[in-house]
Amino acid sequence: MTDSELHPYVELIAREARRPVFTDRMGRDRVMAAIHAEPVPRRHVRLWERVLEPRSFRLSPAGSALIAAGLVGIGVIAGVTSTNRDVRSPDGQLPVADVRSHLPVSDTVVNFVFIAPQATNVSIVGDFNGWDATKTPLVRAANSGRWTVTLPLTAGRHLYSYVVDGAWNADPNAPIAPDDGFGHSSSVKIVSRGSAL
Amino acid sequence: MLAGALGLAVLLGARPTAAQDPDPFSRFDQGTRYTIELLIDSATAAGLPSQRLRSTALLGLSRKADGKQIVAVVQKQLSLLRVAKSALGTSDPEELSSAAAVLEAGGKPGQLNPFRIKQKGRNDLQAFAVWADLIERGVPSDDASMAITKLWQDGADDDTFQSLFRNVKSDILQGLNPGTALQNRIREGPGRVSPSTVKPPEGQQENQSSR
Repeated sequence: MTDSELHPYVELIAREARRPVFTDRMGRDRVMAAIHAEPVPRRHVRLWERVLEPRSFRLSPAGSALIAAGLVGIGVIAGVTSTNRDVRSPDGQLPVADVRSHLPVSDTVVNFVFIAPQATNVSIVGDFNGWDATKTPLVRAANSGRWTVTLPLTAGRHLYSYVVDGAWNADPNAPIAPDDGFGHSSSVKIVSRGSAL
Repeated sequence: MLAGALGLAVLLGARPTAAQDPDPFSRFDQGTRYTIELLIDSATAAGLPSQRLRSTALLGLSRKADGKQIVAVVQKQLSLLRVAKSALGTSDPEELSSAAAVLEAGGKPGQLNPFRIKQKGRNDLQAFAVWADLIERGVPSDDASMAITKLWQDGADDDTFQSLFRNVKSDILQGLNPGTALQNRIREGPGRVSPSTVKPPEGQQENQSSR
């Protein structure tokens, strides 16, 4: 609807509304002074509003690349650390803490040691591994005749022997059991619940 | 396409579960396996530790014994476990296995009677292990029985029995008569090391193998 079609009173009002308003500088200054004199209204900002309020910052491409590289490095280190299951001590044994952390509640960790400087391989057989000489090899400490392995065993009585280059040997430091009926006397290990190595 | 190739590689690399972990009893001939499993079932029905019999059978396999010998040994184990249960009046598998070893070494069933009464917080596994060991090393069965029973009744703990084992073993290795070695140690107090104990020669570690 064009102005020429408006009611004359509406046209009058429109014409007046369109008239530009001129203020003098002193008037504007008086208005601004009055505004500045007013106390700054305090806005109560909740903590969560403060946290969620978006903020902007500027970062150079070089800075972005450095941060990205750092994050990748942290991820690689974390991944290697958590998946590396072969952190062995100098004598070739897993840290006891690592063995213990994977134990069922009823198991106790036992360290077996056999001195055989001339041997080329030593394993342990017993009621805990089906007397299978291939299942539990001992590890030789570097520059030493000391062979060791750490095993979780349930509380109770266990029979075992060392197999040294194919020959069965009792543990010289443990009680011996009667002849097993097959020409050999095994050694006896009594494991108490929760006993240390 | 890459996913398909990976999947195919996984399928080709997979093996049947049975091939990875076969039942060791499958290595027995059929007759031996049947007999041993019958014996194990009998043990289970009688409340005896069948796991011990299973382990004995596997030990026989590992020692490359023939089926007949393995069956005989397992049968003997079962008998000993029955006697141990009758003597001790318990069904604890570890205690029965340990007591059966004492009987196998030469102990008498009646000598187990003092161990029928269970004391709270104590277990007799270490006592039985040392007992069987003493007999195996040549200590007369009755002497070993009296010494172990007396210690047990006096409240000896595992450490005391272990000390007795170490001291008597050391004395026997140095040439002392086994019975005398035991009597000496019991008279002194089983946990004490006698000043007259001779140390092993220089350079020879106690647990060095004989190889």
